[in-house]
Amino acid sequence: MDVNNINPFMESFNLVMPQLGFSNIKKGNLSVKDKEITNTGVIMLVGIVGDIKGNVAYSLDMDSAKKVASKMMMDMPVEEFGEMEKSALAELSNMLTASAVTIFSSSEVFIDISTPTLLQGDNVSLKIGSGKILCIQLFADDIPIDINISFD
Amino acid sequence: MKDNGIVIIDDSPFSVAIIRNILEEEGFNVVGEANSLEEALEVITKTKPYLVTMDMTLPDTDGFECTRSIHKIDDSIRVIMISSMMDDEIVKESKRNKIIDFIQKPVDGDELIAAVEKILKADELYTFLDDKYNEIFIESLLDCIGVMTKTQVNHQEAYLQTKDFNSSGITVVIGIIGLFPGRMFIDLSKETAGKLVAAILSKEPKDYNEVLLGLGELANIISGNASSMLNRQNRALGLRIAPPLILHGDNIVISPPDFDTITTLIETDFGDITLNVGFKRGDETWM
Repeated sequence: MDVNNINPFMESFNLVMPQLGFSNIKKGNLSVKDKEITNTGVIMLVGIVGDIKGNVAYSLDMDSAKKVASKMMMDMPVEEFGEMEKSALAELSNMLTASAVTIFSSSEVFIDISTPTLLQGDNVSLKIGSGKILCIQLFADDIPIDINISFD
Repeated sequence: MKDNGIVIIDDSPFSVAIIRNILEEEGFNVVGEANSLEEALEVITKTKPYLVTMDMTLPDTDGFECTRSIHKIDDSIRVIMISSMMDDEIVKESKRNKIIDFIQKPVDGDELIAAVEKILKADELYTFLDDKYNEIFIESLLDCIGVMTKTQVNHQEAYLQTKDFNSSGITVVIGIIGLFPGRMFIDLSKETAGKLVAAILSKEPKDYNEVLLGLGELANIISGNASSMLNRQNRALGLRIAPPLILHGDNIVISPPDFDTITTLIETDFGDITLNVGFKRGDETWM
């Protein structure tokens, strides 16, 4: 997998999260997974088609998902991960991916994205086709958000 | 031409007259006009227009707030911003407020007409897709499983998925890209998946991984065939599919997105399969 295809997602995170009120953006581990990743919490999936083809999966544990939703809703307290919170997180995945698309286009790589699919569950294993999955861990105000990317 | 017409919102009666003239000369039905937020809300409620042209500067508000207020009344009303100012920030803010197109003053008649016609055409196309897609995805699924397993497959009545969907165990999600983006998923239990893949392979799958990959490929073929069928009926749809995402785990709940999706239960010899598919009617004219 071409690492140049990863940078736009990190740049996008750096760009979008401060717009949503997060001030401290940090980069964590970068790892490559062979077959599948397993998460408990919330996952947002976005498909990519164009000059490159693949999928992006954003994953957060439930506590982090609530914190992010709260921040996106002007620090409104979030007790339950309800409809509004789900909608906020789905929109976040859409914004992050759409912004990465814009960054890609500035280097003449043209792609389109699908609508996001948001789901939650326990021990959710995710297989993105047959290829390798690149996982970037990023932090927004110390809240961990994983971006898992796989291109065909 | 849509019967329910167009409303022009602009604080300058001069600009209103120009825009009205351009639209009426092309046979569009201008049903109302307003010079302020208050007037705008009154005329929108009364005339229920299909489309609104919105000025950026209004005496008691701005075009963004006015658009939000209009969308509170009816969020299907299409809004074109017409403003003397145009920069990245304004364009970005317009997108955020679900404004569908942007035209700079002085208004070029051809440009405005092209923008209105583009919206009408996109909406016609969406209606076409909306009428057909579920039937075609069902047909594709029945056909694929029918051919691959040589069994009879039936489906139940389709319904609008308005609540969270509880997975039976395995879900394959396919992102769809095109003039209108969307998604499809199929969902089934581990047991059904095992039997189905065994029938497709005509032998017991090697391991669970082979079952999952088999399902991924099945979902890929179903959505690929369905998208091709739709593209053949109207090339402008330009539907393409992302690679399959295969999920399995405990208590997986898939939330309904911010657009309508349709769920259909499919009955097979191997057990039930749920099909869910939907397309978003978005701000596609920005593309």
